[in-house]
Amino acid sequence: MNSEGRPTPVRAFAIGPRWLKVFRDLRLHLPRTALVIIAIVVGLTGAGAVLDTWSLMRRVTAEEYQASNPASATLRVESVSAATVATIRALPTIAAVQARRTMTGVAHTRSDPTPRSLVLFALDDFKAASIGKISAQHGEWPPRAGTVAIEHSSVEFSGVAVGDSVTLQIGDSPAVTVAVDAEARDVGLAPGWMEHVIYAFATPSTLAMLGAPSTFNELQILVRDRTLDRDGVRRVAYAVKQQLERDGHRVMNVDVPVPGQHIHAAQINSLLFTQGAFGAIALLLSGILVINLVAAMLAGQVREIGVMKVLGATSQQLAIMYLVPACALGMVASAISIPLAAMIGRAYADFTAEMLNFSTRAIAIPLNVYVWQLAVGIVFPIVAATIPVWRGCRISVGEALRDVGIEVGGASARVDGVTRILARMSGVSRPLLLSLRNAFRKRQRMMLTLLTLATGGAVYIGALNLKQSVRGAVDLLFGVQQFDLSVRLARATTPDSIERAIAAVSGVARVEAWSAARASVAHPDSTSSNVFPISAPTPSTRMLRHDIVGGRWLLEGDGRALVVNQRLLDDEPSLHVGDSVALNIGGKITLWQLVGVVTSGTSPTAYAPRNTIAAMTLQGRVDRVVVASTARTAASQLELMQRIRGALTSGGFVVESGQLMIEQRRVIEDHLLMVASFLGAMSQLMIVVGGLALASTMGMAVLERTREIGVMRAIGARHGAIIMMIQIEGLVIALLGWALAIPLSLPMSVLLGKAFGRIMLPIPLTYLPNFSGIVEWFGVVLVVSFVACSVPAWRVTRITTRAALAYE
Amino acid sequence: MTTPSADTPLIEVRGVTHEYLTAAGPFTALRDVSVAATRGEFLAVVGESGSGKSTLLALLAGIDRPTRGEVVIAGTKIHALAERELSAWRGRGVGIVFQFFQLLPTLTAAENVMLPMDFCGTYATDERRVRAESLLARLGVREQCDKLPSTLSGGQQQRVAVARALANAPAVLLADEPTGNLDSRTSASMLAIFRELAEEGQTIVMVTHERRAMQHASRLLTLADGRVVPNEQ
Repeated sequence: MNSEGRPTPVRAFAIGPRWLKVFRDLRLHLPRTALVIIAIVVGLTGAGAVLDTWSLMRRVTAEEYQASNPASATLRVESVSAATVATIRALPTIAAVQARRTMTGVAHTRSDPTPRSLVLFALDDFKAASIGKISAQHGEWPPRAGTVAIEHSSVEFSGVAVGDSVTLQIGDSPAVTVAVDAEARDVGLAPGWMEHVIYAFATPSTLAMLGAPSTFNELQILVRDRTLDRDGVRRVAYAVKQQLERDGHRVMNVDVPVPGQHIHAAQINSLLFTQGAFGAIALLLSGILVINLVAAMLAGQVREIGVMKVLGATSQQLAIMYLVPACALGMVASAISIPLAAMIGRAYADFTAEMLNFSTRAIAIPLNVYVWQLAVGIVFPIVAATIPVWRGCRISVGEALRDVGIEVGGASARVDGVTRILARMSGVSRPLLLSLRNAFRKRQRMMLTLLTLATGGAVYIGALNLKQSVRGAVDLLFGVQQFDLSVRLARATTPDSIERAIAAVSGVARVEAWSAARASVAHPDSTSSNVFPISAPTPSTRMLRHDIVGGRWLLEGDGRALVVNQRLLDDEPSLHVGDSVALNIGGKITLWQLVGVVTSGTSPTAYAPRNTIAAMTLQGRVDRVVVASTARTAASQLELMQRIRGALTSGGFVVESGQLMIEQRRVIEDHLLMVASFLGAMSQLMIVVGGLALASTMGMAVLERTREIGVMRAIGARHGAIIMMIQIEGLVIALLGWALAIPLSLPMSVLLGKAFGRIMLPIPLTYLPNFSGIVEWFGVVLVVSFVACSVPAWRVTRITTRAALAYE
Repeated sequence: MTTPSADTPLIEVRGVTHEYLTAAGPFTALRDVSVAATRGEFLAVVGESGSGKSTLLALLAGIDRPTRGEVVIAGTKIHALAERELSAWRGRGVGIVFQFFQLLPTLTAAENVMLPMDFCGTYATDERRVRAESLLARLGVREQCDKLPSTLSGGQQQRVAVARALANAPAVLLADEPTGNLDSRTSASMLAIFRELAEEGQTIVMVTHERRAMQHASRLLTLADGRVVPNEQ
């Protein structure tokens, strides 16, 4: 820069003067240039982060899951020998077979006095495992005899890590403390934090040490024909079942997942789709901002465009002159946004993948994803700039040369509805009226700004609604359960004795002994549904509060009566209220009558009378109790749990595990709200874009009306009055954006709620924004408007009256 | 563009009428005006405000189109050219000098002069700078060639603007109140430059209020209420 503060002239022979002009104009209007870059960076970063997350999640779910060689089907049997495994392996339809033992029990950790449910997997040789491969994370893998390896998704919620010890108890056997020597990941499992289960891996000898049988009770099979669909695989699995039964083995159930699809594939796809839509909206909004900013840039260049046309420039040459910098700014923005998006995208992909029990750490974002982002980064600002550039460059020479900074035509010259309404407003001061009129002078520009702000607001309110819906969903999920803690016994007992023992503990409001079973629907073609749990309370239970959507609830005197939840009905659409249903419970088929349907629950569940289930499974005894507490806090409920455990132990009962509902709720709510928070963060990004759009609109308004401002000053308007006019003008647009966002938030809330329902769990949709959300959005709008108008208002104070009047 | 013979008028305006649409209704700025000028002629167009002189200049520059009539410059019927053809023709066919100079503020004097050559693709790239410096030297502002317009005086800016107008060696130089923003001494020297250019064969049409212009122009055309006033020298 020279002493006049002007750009230093460059004696450039190679660069044509028009390109020197382009470069120097960008440098001269550095704040606006920076704003264009920021606008592109915001849009590209939002969309790029989503794209990066998508690419990582897609790769990790497809590659990591397929690499684990997931089982085509799993058959649960009482016991299976090596000879039987060999027989199944010899079947022509089977490519591979693997036998393992799965045991449930209870785990006591040092960090938490509440016992946790345990699922322990045992294999002869983990390293040789060919189906559902488990990958080592830390420590010594495979687990040695006398130690266990903990599954990765159970680590955080249980607080158990490699190097700790954990006390395990299987059934009535004595509890044994073992060292946790390793951490491993089984991508085929539903995450431990979601299931509230500690998954662990051990050798058969460790199982024996825990008092469990060391023979195998699960057969994982891999079908030879990998093109088979789920029904095809099911037929093969049932042929295996028949073979096992012919050999004298009792098969409890057969589980056939959708071939090649991870258990959470649908959720992941929905999540990525929703995020993709948000990325696209962010990009679209920043595109609108770029349109506004480029239009602003051209508004200040109208006279120069006229002069250049006089000098022989064609519209095409001028368009290229203004599109090339758009492209250059896109490249600069890409250089910032691509690494930024990669950072955010990777962090979010890591978080999401961890939630679903995958790890993205070893996976790189594919090169083509970066190339796409670069291509979009270059093309996107060109596309966005094309509209204003084309319009700006098509202006006739005469019109361009007559541009003097006082608008005489356009919307302001027409006496239309808005102008008439404003003219009739009484009791409004002239400056305020002028601000109101000014806000409506450039309708198209105002609409674009309004749309940007309102979309950001709609997403903001939508995200607030979603948070409320998520809390509502968790309320609904746990609202069904009118109890605060549950206790599982290692040894079944009579309902009366356990209820009496617990009722005597101080702090217990109500207690009910329940029974439970696992069942599958037996189909007429000899196949079965996947296994689902049956909860068996007394029909008059006060511990459940269901919404009945069909039929009725259980009644006293009901025998084999069954109530299913909507989720089970979704899986088994052939079931209807009043039908007879064949259930496979513990390998025995019995007929039940479906008497009702309830809405509750996110996974397939059924309810049956306690006495019927207890008679079928535990000779009329029960092994679980649910307790309603008089205490409301987590700490006091934990104390109650300890008192109950103490009372039961001294009463001769053996407790297998106990769970606090409040704790379970917290873990689920935290994770679900994190996803809602991501959407909230995206909405904040969009509001930033909206604020930038308002700032650029107001900057443009000030620029276009420079001479008008000079005239106002000349007739006595003070700085404060002009600043106030600009702030009010911006506020009018912002408030319109606030109002428009409210109706727009309705479809946004429905969309988000439905997407979330598909991704995580069905939620009660909150369509209407609540009052506090609207007030919050109002506050955001006020701040955004004030900040966005501050720079243009400050610039007004820097223009002298003489310069303003001389503006051309 | 065809090159006219020495006796063929370089500028022919035939029966031109031009109407503007204003908020108050149509306004006729020029009524059946016919004007001709030959090569090397320095035509000064004078008249009161609203007489139609700037409209006539805009029609000659191809900035506006006549409602009726023809405008032919150096054999090119510019009233019949499409907008795109007009842009290309304008860059080579005419050079325009404005009252407020209209130099591009972020380009130096030399770069401003090079700009028309750049847009129209005239002269080899490495010749443009040489030509720009030569034109600036011809107008007496060679020393200012690497300065930005904001650092130049009004007279210097107008000389640079004339050099820019001549960059593509146009058949006609059009000047719209070129001395309107200059002091009397600078105005006089600017008019002298125009006369010298005309003597060198450059056809010039200048719209002016300046009384002294008559002393420099080879012919005076007076307009009143959109009509040519007859019998004027």
